[in-house]
Amino acid sequence: MFSTALQDLSASIAAWRLWSLLGWLEIRQRYARSTLGPFWLTISMGVIVGSIGVVYGTLFNQNIAIYLPMMGIGLVFWSLLTSIINESCMAYINSAGYIRQTATPKLLFMLQVGWRNFLIFIHNFVIVLLLLVVFGSEDWTTLPLFIPGLLLFILNALWIGQVAGLVSARFRDLPQIISAMLQMAFYVTPILFQRSMLHQHQWIVDYNPFAHLLDLVRGPLTGNAPSLLTWGVTGAMAVLGWWLALMLTERYLKRIPYWV
Amino acid sequence: MSIILQNVSVDLPVFEMSGRSLKKKLAGLGRRNRIAEDNDGVVVVRALDDLSFSLQEGDRVGLIGRNGAGKSTLLRVLAGIYPPTSGKIYTSGRIVPLLDISLGMDELSTGRQNVRLRGLLLGMSDAEIRHKMEEIATFTELGDHLDLPLRTYSSGMRLRLAFAVSTAVDADILLLDEVIGVGDTSFMKKAEERMLNLQNRAKIVVLASHSDEVIRKMCNKALWMDRGRIQAFGAVDLVTTEYVAEQLLA
Repeated sequence: MFSTALQDLSASIAAWRLWSLLGWLEIRQRYARSTLGPFWLTISMGVIVGSIGVVYGTLFNQNIAIYLPMMGIGLVFWSLLTSIINESCMAYINSAGYIRQTATPKLLFMLQVGWRNFLIFIHNFVIVLLLLVVFGSEDWTTLPLFIPGLLLFILNALWIGQVAGLVSARFRDLPQIISAMLQMAFYVTPILFQRSMLHQHQWIVDYNPFAHLLDLVRGPLTGNAPSLLTWGVTGAMAVLGWWLALMLTERYLKRIPYWV
Repeated sequence: MSIILQNVSVDLPVFEMSGRSLKKKLAGLGRRNRIAEDNDGVVVVRALDDLSFSLQEGDRVGLIGRNGAGKSTLLRVLAGIYPPTSGKIYTSGRIVPLLDISLGMDELSTGRQNVRLRGLLLGMSDAEIRHKMEEIATFTELGDHLDLPLRTYSSGMRLRLAFAVSTAVDADILLLDEVIGVGDTSFMKKAEERMLNLQNRAKIVVLASHSDEVIRKMCNKALWMDRGRIQAFGAVDLVTTEYVAEQLLA
C-alpha cells in the first residue's frame, strides 16, 4: 500500500555510500581545520554535565554517584534525539540543490541527517563510557538490553524526523515550532530530575513519550531494565509513527522537488 | 530506450507570493497568462501545458524556444526530477541529466573525493567510479592538484573537473542544458570532442540551447517550445528555420 514510499526507502538505503559520504562531509565542513573537530562537542557536553551535576545535584540534594550518570547519560541521548529531529526539519530544504538537479531517492537526505547525528553521538558516547567507568552501573546484567533499546530509539527518532522534514519543506514555520516544543519538552522530561522527585505529579513523566524513549536507552546502561510499559509505548510509537511517516511520504514524495 | 509523454502538465508553485490580492494583480497581466492559484490558495505557474510526444532510439533532439518557454522544466521532467502535475511519462534506460555543472562539489574535499561525490550523485556505482578515476584524472589535466582541496582551485579548474566527471557517465538517455563553454581554448576543443563522443554513446540525447549552430550540428530533430506548449516538433532544419523566421519577425 505504500509502494512509492517503500520503493524510495529501499533505494535510499541502497545508496548508503552517498548518504554516509554526504553526512560525513557535513561534519568535516563544520569542523574544518579544527584539531579536535567534533570532540569539541564532547568537551562542551562534558562541561555541561559536570556543572549541572554539581549545581542541580546539590539543589535537589542528590547522591552524586547516582544523579550524575542518570543526568549525564540522559543528556547525551536527549541531544541525539533532538538534534535528529531539529536537523531533519531542514533535511530536504538544505538539499534543494541536489533534489532539483538529480533524480535521487529522497529519503536518503533523511538518512544523511540521521547518520551525521549518529556520528556526533558516537563522539559524545565517550562521556557515557566515562560515567559508567567512574560510577558503575547498579546492575550490569541489563546491559545487553541497550542494543534493542538503541535501535528502537533511533527508529523512533527517524520517523519523527521524516514527518518533520516532509512537512517543513512545505510549511516553513514548522522548524521553529518544533524547536520551541522540544525546548519545552526538555523541562518535563526526567533528565535534570528524576521521576520520584515529582511526588504527586509523577503522571507528567508517565504520559511523556520522550520519557519512555529515554528510559529505553538510559535504563539498560544504568541498571534499570525498561518496564514492559516502556517497551510497549515505544514499540507502538515506532509502528504507528512509521505508518504515519510512510503514509505522508507516499502522498507527498512527489511534491518535494516543487516545495524545496 | 524510449521516452513517452502523454498530456504532461507541470504547475510550479510559488510560495513566496500566496494571497488573493496578488492573484488579482497578476490576473490583470493579460488574458493568456499562465499564472493561476491552486486550491490551497498558492500561486502556481503553468510551466508545461499538455505535452505529448515520444522519443525513440537514435533521436537527437534540440530544445529551442525563448527564455521561460519551459525548456529547463521539460528537461527536469524527462530526468524524473519533477513528477508531472498531471499526465504520464514513461521512460526506459539509464537517464543522466547534466543540468548544473557545479552540482555536488565540496570545497574542502580533494579533487578525487569530489569525483567520487559527484559520481555517486549522478548514479554511478563505487566500482564504476574507481574504474573511471584515472581516465577522468587524465582528462582534467590537473595532475597533482587533484589531491588538493577544491577551494584551492580556480574557476576554470573547477569546470574542468566537473565537466570530466559528468561526461564520464555511461548514459542511455542524456539530458543537457545549455552546454557551457569550458576553460581555455585548448581545453574547449577537447571538451567538444568529449561531448560529441558522449552524445554518440548515448541512445537518446535531448539538448537545450539558444545556439542555432549547436542545435543544427548536434541534433537530427528539434522541439520548439513556446509558453509551455509545443510549437513545432520535427526535422531539425525545418523547425529551426521556422523558429529563426519567427524570431526575426518578432
